[in-house]
Amino acid sequence: MILRVFRGSPGSTERFDEFRVPITPHTTVLDALVRLREEAAPDLAFRYACRVGMCGSCAMVVDGRERWACRTRLAAVAGGAPGEPTVTVRPLYHFPLVRDLVVAMEPFVARMRAAGAAFVPAPGVAAAATVAPIPAGSRERRAIDAAVECIGCGACLSACSMVGWNPGFLGPAALNRAWTLAADRRDAGAAERHPAVLGEAGVLRCHGQAQCTAACPMELSPADSILRLRRRAVVRLLLGRA
Amino acid sequence: MGGAGPPGHRSLTVAAEPGRERIPRRGWTDAGSWRGVRAGLWAWLLQRGAAIALLGVIALHLRNPFGRAVQALLLGLVLLHALLGVRAILLDVGVPVRLHRVLFAGALVLGAALFALTWWWRWY
Repeated sequence: MILRVFRGSPGSTERFDEFRVPITPHTTVLDALVRLREEAAPDLAFRYACRVGMCGSCAMVVDGRERWACRTRLAAVAGGAPGEPTVTVRPLYHFPLVRDLVVAMEPFVARMRAAGAAFVPAPGVAAAATVAPIPAGSRERRAIDAAVECIGCGACLSACSMVGWNPGFLGPAALNRAWTLAADRRDAGAAERHPAVLGEAGVLRCHGQAQCTAACPMELSPADSILRLRRRAVVRLLLGRA
Repeated sequence: MGGAGPPGHRSLTVAAEPGRERIPRRGWTDAGSWRGVRAGLWAWLLQRGAAIALLGVIALHLRNPFGRAVQALLLGLVLLHALLGVRAILLDVGVPVRLHRVLFAGALVLGAALFALTWWWRWY
């Protein structure tokens, strides 16, 4: 099959290089990229670490959709199109390009900071490391558990069209994190977070397209988290709270 | 590259070169970009598209309220826009996002049914 790979860096001419790669039913995009770098394109830049879908660092856009290269089998993506199947890989959208398939993750981190992603222990809660766990099976725990497994791959930020049109929008990952904290009664940082999270650059900017939920390789639903935050914002508004 | 770290370790932070930032975005004319568009974004695009189209169709309808084609277009666009709006409201008030495709399909099917019914029962 043919693998079309984005090549380029800021200031250079961007292009797609095509490589014919042999595949088996189990060859992943990452397998093919590693082999390309060993045999045909030693200067090809891409990022990966764990190779088994735990770290999220190999997130990229494969045939138009955000995926982890290590968990995406080329045969499954290529499908049954007539002629020699072609798969296109390119870097995540909405992140500054570093080179080829590598992007800088600063916008992800900056949004997390802007949303106040750190846990703030409530008075009486000594320190994050010694916080008493929320009872398993409780409603509060279920609400948080459904959203807490984000590993920061950036796929949701790349998939969100609103991030593309409004670079100031906090985006799905940061708002999803904000929801896990808002639902946690041990956290006391809500008041500081509200201006950013419930403001113009926060939940109000989301249009419920659920691209983030569709793209999340961890099968989280940032869209649900944002809608929950928005419902809280409406309740606060109706109750007249700042 | 840069940043503080433990002695003997190099920071692996990779920053884009300042002043020459290039942020890739989905392009309207790029077929690959459209492959990433899922049901939720199609629903959003359809609803907004219907709203914009309604501006023109309402103007046409005011000029000649008895034109069959414009009547059909007006009815279809109003149903599409309204029912996709109902879908968005249902998601807002707590219907889980995992059902958004079902709601989208439901809005289209219900819209088609209401269109057929209304068109069949029109009085003139």
